[in-house]
Amino acid sequence: MSWDGLIEGLRSFVVWVMDVSSVPIIIYFLLINTSLLVLIGLAYLEFRAQQRRRATALTWQGAGLAPGVSLLVPAYNEEAGIVTAVKSFLTLRYPRHEVVVVDDGSSDQTFARLEEAFDLVQVPRELPHEVPVRARVLGIWVPRDGRTRLVVVRKENSGRSEAINVAINAASEPLVAMIDGDSILEPDGLLHVTRPFADDPTRMVATGGAIRPVNGSRVVSGRIVRVEMPQTWIPRIQLVEYLRAFLLGRTGWSRVGGLILISGAFGLFRRDVVVEVGGLDPDSIGEDFELVMRIHKRMRDEGRDYKVEFVPEPVSWTEVPVTATVLRNQRRRWHRGLWETLWAYRSMLFRPKYGRIGFLALPYYWLFELIAPLLEFFGILIVPLALLLGVVNVPFAILFLVLAYGYAVLVTLSAMVVDEWAFHKHDRWRAIWQTIAASVLENIGYRQATVWWRLEGWWSSLRGKKHVWGVMTRTGFDEDPA
Amino acid sequence: MVGAALLVGATVVILGACLLLVILVVAVRARRHSRNQRDEMLLSPLRPPLITVASGEDDDGAATEELTWATGVSRTVLDRNIVEMLTKIRGVPADQLVRVLEVHGAVDAAVADLTSRSTVRRARAAQLLGLAKAEHTVPLLVTALGDEAMEVRNSAAYALGLIGDPVAAGPVLAAIGAPERGLPAATAAEALQSMGVGISEVLRDGMGDPNARTRMVAAHLSGERSFTRGLPELRRLLDDDPDVTVRETSATAIGRLGRGEDVAILVRHTVDSEPLALRRACVIALGELGDPAAVPALATLLADADPRLAELAASALLTMGPDGSSALLGHEDDAAVRSARLMASLQRASA
Repeated sequence: MSWDGLIEGLRSFVVWVMDVSSVPIIIYFLLINTSLLVLIGLAYLEFRAQQRRRATALTWQGAGLAPGVSLLVPAYNEEAGIVTAVKSFLTLRYPRHEVVVVDDGSSDQTFARLEEAFDLVQVPRELPHEVPVRARVLGIWVPRDGRTRLVVVRKENSGRSEAINVAINAASEPLVAMIDGDSILEPDGLLHVTRPFADDPTRMVATGGAIRPVNGSRVVSGRIVRVEMPQTWIPRIQLVEYLRAFLLGRTGWSRVGGLILISGAFGLFRRDVVVEVGGLDPDSIGEDFELVMRIHKRMRDEGRDYKVEFVPEPVSWTEVPVTATVLRNQRRRWHRGLWETLWAYRSMLFRPKYGRIGFLALPYYWLFELIAPLLEFFGILIVPLALLLGVVNVPFAILFLVLAYGYAVLVTLSAMVVDEWAFHKHDRWRAIWQTIAASVLENIGYRQATVWWRLEGWWSSLRGKKHVWGVMTRTGFDEDPA
Repeated sequence: MVGAALLVGATVVILGACLLLVILVVAVRARRHSRNQRDEMLLSPLRPPLITVASGEDDDGAATEELTWATGVSRTVLDRNIVEMLTKIRGVPADQLVRVLEVHGAVDAAVADLTSRSTVRRARAAQLLGLAKAEHTVPLLVTALGDEAMEVRNSAAYALGLIGDPVAAGPVLAAIGAPERGLPAATAAEALQSMGVGISEVLRDGMGDPNARTRMVAAHLSGERSFTRGLPELRRLLDDDPDVTVRETSATAIGRLGRGEDVAILVRHTVDSEPLALRRACVIALGELGDPAAVPALATLLADADPRLAELAASALLTMGPDGSSALLGHEDDAAVRSARLMASLQRASA
C-alpha cells in the first residue's frame, strides 16, 4: 500500500471513529458537566447553610457529650517529624483524646526519637484482637509520667492499613481518627469533626474533614503559623484539585447523603462500627474508600439508621507531591484503588436497598471518576490526529477545547469563590492570581499526564500486577520556605 | 452552522461566567477588607472605655456611661463586640455591658428580631437575649425551640441554658426528638447542664422518651449531675434499651451514682453475649462504684478472652482496697494484671 493510500485509509478510519463516537461523547460531555453543575448547586446550598451556622456560631468547647477520640497515627520511617507531630496532636484543643502511634517496623530512628522525647516505658499489655492483624506486635509503650495520653505500639512492617488496624485494637476511646503522621491538624480540628457525633450520637458513624496542601506554608512546632501558596506549580495545581474535591465534590455529596469517600489523611469513625466491619482491608489499595463502602453496605444491609457526614471546615493539612514521579505513583494508586473498590461493590449498583449510594453516588463514580480518564485519553489521541489529517475544522476544534477546559476552570473558580467567602485562608492577593493561573495551567499538560497515570493504575490492576507502594519524599515542615 | 453557533455561544457563556467568578472572588475579599477596616475605625474611639468595663475597672460607671452614648453605625459595631465579649466574661463587667445593650435598645430589638424573616437575625437575637439573661423572654425562647431553622433552635437552647430557668428544661429535652426539627443533642445537653437541680424530674421522664438521642442525653446528664432519682430508669435503660449507645451511657451513669444493689445489674451485662463496648463500660462502672460486692465478678473477668476487659477488671480491682488486691493473688503473671499495676504505679507517681 502506498503512503497516500495509508494516509487516506487512516483518514477514513478517524472520520468513522469520530462519526461513531461524536454523539456519545457529546452526551457524556453534557452529562458530566451537568452533574458538576448539580454538585456545585448542592455545595452552594450546603455552604449557605454553613455560612448561616458560622454567622450564628456558638462557642463549643466539647463539654458534655463530646465523645473521646483516639488519634491513630501509623508511622513508617518518620524520624524527621514524628515527635513534632505527636506533640502537636497531644496539644489539640479537645477535652478527651489520646494519641496511638504505631511504628510499622521502621528501619530508621522513629521509635528511638519517640522513646527519648516522651520517656517511654514498656507496658506488658496484650492488645485485643477485635480487628484481625497478621503482623506480629513487638511491644507497647507509654510515657513514664503517667499523664500524657500517648500509646506507642511497635510491630513488624506490614503496611499502613495493618498499622491502623493495630492502632484500632490499641485505641480506648469511642471514636477513632485516622491521620497520617505527616499531617497537621488545625488546633480546633477535632472540635469541628466530632461535633456531628455530639449532635447526633446514636446515628453518626463517620465524618470526614477538608484537607488542604501544606506545601509552602510556614509551620512551627507542628502548627501552621502562616498559610502560603506552594512554591512550585505541581503542588499549586494540586491545591486547586483539593479545593474542587473538598469544597464542591464532597460537600455536595454530603448534602444529598451520598458521601462514599473519606480521605485517608483525616477521617473520624465510631470505633465499634469499624471493629464490626473488620477494620481496614490490608489487601486493598484504596483502603479508605473501601472502608467507607463497607460501612455503608453493612448499615444498609441491616437496615440501620445511620449518617456519614462531611465537615467542610479545613481540618487537616498535608504535604502533597512536588515531583512528577511521586505524583504519578500517587495517581496510579488512587485510580487503581477506585477501580478495585468500585468493582468489589458493584453489587450495590441500582439496588433499592442502597438508596442514594446505589442509585446516585456509585453510578457517578463509575461514570465520571473511573471512566472519565479513558474518554479523555480517547480525546487526547483522536483530536490531534484528526487535526493532523485535516479531517476536522481547526477553529471548531479549538473552540471545543476552549469550551471543555473553560468549563473545568469555571468549576475551579466556583470552589475559589466558596473558599474566599467561607474560609479565606490565604491572606495575600497574590494567592488569588496564582490559584487562577493554576486552574488554567492545570489543563495544559498536567491534566493529560494525570489521565495517563490514572489509566496506568487501572491497567496494572486489570493485568493483576502487584502494587508497589512508592516512597513519598517529605521536605519537612519546620522551616521557613520564604 | 447551527452547531458552530451553539459552540461559540456556549464558549462565550462559559468564559463570561469565569470572568464573573474572578470578579466575585476579588469583590468578596475587597468587601471583607473594607468592612474590617471600617469596623476597626468606628470602634477605635470606644475601645478604651470598652476595655475598662470588660476588665472590671469601671468602678464609678463612667466608662459604661460613655459606651451608652454611641450612636448610628458605631453603636451597631459596638453592640456586636459587646455580644462577643459577653460570651467570655461574667459578673459585674457582664452586667455593665448588658446595661449598655439595654440603653441602646438592643434587648428590645432582639425581642422583635425573634420573628424576623432572616434566620441569622432570629438566631443572633436569641443569643443576645440569653447573654443579657433576659428572663422575661423565656416563653419566647421556648417557642423558638421549634423554629424551622436549626441555627435558631440551637441559639434558643443556648440562650435558655444561659438564663438557667429550669422551667425550660422540659421543652429543651423534648426538642431533641422533634420530628424534622430536632435540636442537636450536644446543644441540648449543654443548655440543660446549666439549669440547676430542678431538672431531675424532667430528665427522669426523658429517659422514657421514644427518641434514642433524648434518652441518651437524659441518661448522660442524670449521671453527670448525680441525680439519684433517675436510677430506676437508668437500670431499665441498661437492661433493655434497643440502642447500645444509650445502654453504655446508662452504665457509665450508674457507675457515677449507683448503689450496692447496682453491682448485680452491671455484672449481668459483663457476660460475653453482650456487646464488647457495653461490657467494658460496665466493668469501668463497677470500678467507679468501688463496691466490694463486685470483686468476685471482676476476678472472673481477669481471665476474659478480651485483654482490654481483663485489664479494666484488674484496674478496677486495684482501686478496691484489700478485697480487690487479694482477688489479684494468683494472677500476678497475667499480662492484664501486670499492665494494670504498672499503669496504676505510673499514675500514682505522677500524682
